[in-house]
Amino acid sequence: MTTRLRLQELLGPILIVIAFSYVVGLQSAQGLLIVQSTLALFVMVLALHVFVGNSGVLSFGHGAFAMFGAFASGIVTTPSNIKENSLQLQNLYPFLVNLNLGMYPSLLLAIAAGALVAGLSGLLLMRLNGLAAGIATFALLGVAYNIFFYNNRIGPGSQALLALPPFQFLEEPVVLTVLVMLAVYLFGISRAGRTLRATREDPLAAPALGISITRVRWIAFTLSGAIAGLGGAMFAHVAGTVQVQDYYLPYTFMTLSMLIIGGSASLWGATVGTLLVTGIGQILLMMEQQKPILGIVVHLPNGTRAIVIALTLVVMLLWRSEGVTQGREFKIGMPKLKK
Amino acid sequence: MIQAILDAVSLGGVYALAALGLGLVFGVMRLVNFAHAELITVASYTLVMTHQFPLVVSIVLSVVVASLMALLMELLAYRRLRGSNPATMLIVSFGVSVLLQKIYELVFGALPRSASVATGLTGAFTVGGVSITTASVVTIVLAVVILLAMGYLIERTKLGLQLRAAASDFQTARLLGVRSNRLIASAFVISGALAAVVAFVNVVGNPQVDPRFGLDITILALVGIVVGGMNSLRGSALGGFIVGAVLSLLNVILGNGRVYAYSWMFVIVIVILLVRPGGILSKFATKERV
Repeated sequence: MTTRLRLQELLGPILIVIAFSYVVGLQSAQGLLIVQSTLALFVMVLALHVFVGNSGVLSFGHGAFAMFGAFASGIVTTPSNIKENSLQLQNLYPFLVNLNLGMYPSLLLAIAAGALVAGLSGLLLMRLNGLAAGIATFALLGVAYNIFFYNNRIGPGSQALLALPPFQFLEEPVVLTVLVMLAVYLFGISRAGRTLRATREDPLAAPALGISITRVRWIAFTLSGAIAGLGGAMFAHVAGTVQVQDYYLPYTFMTLSMLIIGGSASLWGATVGTLLVTGIGQILLMMEQQKPILGIVVHLPNGTRAIVIALTLVVMLLWRSEGVTQGREFKIGMPKLKK
Repeated sequence: MIQAILDAVSLGGVYALAALGLGLVFGVMRLVNFAHAELITVASYTLVMTHQFPLVVSIVLSVVVASLMALLMELLAYRRLRGSNPATMLIVSFGVSVLLQKIYELVFGALPRSASVATGLTGAFTVGGVSITTASVVTIVLAVVILLAMGYLIERTKLGLQLRAAASDFQTARLLGVRSNRLIASAFVISGALAAVVAFVNVVGNPQVDPRFGLDITILALVGIVVGGMNSLRGSALGGFIVGAVLSLLNVILGNGRVYAYSWMFVIVIVILLVRPGGILSKFATKERV
């Protein structure tokens, strides 16, 4: 992580994400889908990086912000006639039935929803430290899940919200992602970002220098809530549906694993982690389907893919527990990774 | 009413056992072992798969299997992570948890396996006009006996002294001659055995074992150890008890609103943490270095 603007640290990851998007996305319809869902997950990983990476406090609550973002964006973009006629939306509040927004206003709404929920809950949660903070954010996720699962006045309850408009062009998620990367990097080098990292490095010395830990954490939490809201909404539009289960434990842990495998402290780490985990998953999928990889067909028995993925994640973390990049930023003439 | 209180006490007891298993491991290596869920699950599978054997044999087998698996987790994965950042350890334990779930899925199938285990314990009896389920009474008795045994082990034996010392300050305990490898291994074995007890109680109540069988109880027990105070084993057990009992009572009190019982419980958890960030039993005002 860095203290001042170094262009290569920002442009390196951005160019790699753009290159990945176009190389894979223009291959096939399936490739396009992979890119879109990877970018949606990546935005969520970036949200986690802003808070977890800079503050050193683990958060399980970001799934809740993604949930709010996805439902906010989903409910206003589902056409009114579908909302009126679908069984699972019968009990919806009337104003939600009649409300219809386009894709982009709905994404802004998702950002606002994520920021609002994070900002309000952060007022209380950011007073906590260490694992107590982690568990309290988990409690937030539990409450959000519980409410969305059972309350059918604000959404489809345990059912799915269907017929969300998809992104029309590959450029749309790519541009959104790059904007988020820019915001994340600028936050990292801002005064608030640097102060927050100081509190991560030494939570006793930082307050002695006049830093309010609660305040700087709250700023990062709210920003990352906004980004998580966007990430959740993007994920919903890529999938075309929203279901509360999609944003619960597997989603939370998948994105947290991506961040920690890459190295939580840097933008480059978030990028590498997301691409690496996605890549491994795709390669194993191709093996299971007996497709050639670089001309070689390796056959993976059905049902073993998930086992191999989990095993790979564990082995990678055992091998390099600070993440693949060890929290360093992108640098040309690759840095020495071993200390 | 009496049944409601008995249910609350028995659910609290089960969660206290699960939380104690987690707390033991957390105490010696600062690891929140998410894969504790899979210890409970494997013990449950063992009980279901060996239901044709005499009950005692089947229980002993489940304790052995769960303890061995806990030991293997320690040897193959967690040993390499000692002293790492807690976030990394938590994610690794989650990886181990998913890995084992997928292996169970491959071995036992994704659908629940069921068999009636300890049929004598299902049913109810009447005391003074009040109907009481046998399972709740057995659970309470079992939980009390095990907690007392654990209390003896922790308060009165040398191993217990070392575990307590390690839980409050691992580095100092090592300097004073506590053998860390052996201590950590024993903590894992005991936590495996506790997982098997939790499994037994759960299988009696609900013999539909699937690969995610142990997940819910582990998550809530995790919340419990933080609420009670992770730096002491009593705190862990107390926190687990509180979470279980509160959840059970909320289910009765809320009536039709019981679907939101989890929300209310989590709100209570957040409030407790805000008032006492170190847990209910925390004695020191020291801040954990995050």
